[in-house]
Amino acid sequence: MTLSVALGPDTQESTQTGTATSTDVLSAPDIPWNLVIWNDPVNLMSYVSYVFRSYFGYSEAKANKLMLEVHKKGRSIVAHGSKEQVEQHAVAMHGYGLWATVEQATGGSGGGKGSGKGKGKRG
Amino acid sequence: MAKAFKYGIKGITGYLEPAERELLRSLFDDVVSMLEPEERANQDPLAALVGLDAEAREPSDRALRRLLPSVSKNDAAASLEFRRYTERSLRESKIGALKAASLGLDKDDLVLTPDDARHWSMALNDVRLVLAERLDIRDDEDAGHVHLMQDWSQAEDVESYLALVYNFTTWLQESLVQAMLASLETRG
Repeated sequence: MTLSVALGPDTQESTQTGTATSTDVLSAPDIPWNLVIWNDPVNLMSYVSYVFRSYFGYSEAKANKLMLEVHKKGRSIVAHGSKEQVEQHAVAMHGYGLWATVEQATGGSGGGKGSGKGKGKRG
Repeated sequence: MAKAFKYGIKGITGYLEPAERELLRSLFDDVVSMLEPEERANQDPLAALVGLDAEAREPSDRALRRLLPSVSKNDAAASLEFRRYTERSLRESKIGALKAASLGLDKDDLVLTPDDARHWSMALNDVRLVLAERLDIRDDEDAGHVHLMQDWSQAEDVESYLALVYNFTTWLQESLVQAMLASLETRG
């Protein structure tokens, strides 16, 4: 992302990673999908934060925290839900021009590696 | 010179010179023509009507691939299937935003409703994504390098011209988003 304005004081980086949830039992079959937003050098930090606030209804603090996580770590999980829900969010994010993918929250069948670590963070 | 967008009593307002409006109009039109789905002879009209496109493929053009990304990082088959159900309507909604922004360019003074502003921010973002691919902006360092190009008298080749256009649209989008954020504060 690209920074054009100074950020407020409440935007220090979080040290937790969103993926670190130590799920004992994810019993509910309709929670195991994540919406992931990936960093890119074009989207404005202000715009990404605006999209998180206006589309998901997140607070300014939460939107900025997620936006900075995308910027600094290369990716961030910004929403969870059923496969259909996160796919719907992904299309909306693509509509805004953000780079979004969906993935299973925990390793599962589904063909791909569920937890899809953002390895090989492409530049 | 364009004036930065700002949020006030009338809503979000801005001002662009005729040459700037002409430039934006052509940028919006260029991206619309990239996004327009090609009509195929054997296309099922009913499927097209409901947004299905059984022939959809991951675009080979890098800029188009950035506008219409794959939904899964490591499951190409799932991405392709998803694309067949969603890509057509994604193209149409992007085209809708670009055309709406383009229509708003008829006057020097811009007064944007919240919907107009959203369309404008999406349209400018898509234009910047395409320009960034043409300029080969791959990381923050590339972006910083392009950002240094600010003087129109230095525009001596296509690349420096594109860089100036990119910086202009970046500045315009940033001012618009700041105005939109200000309007969020007010509306609560």
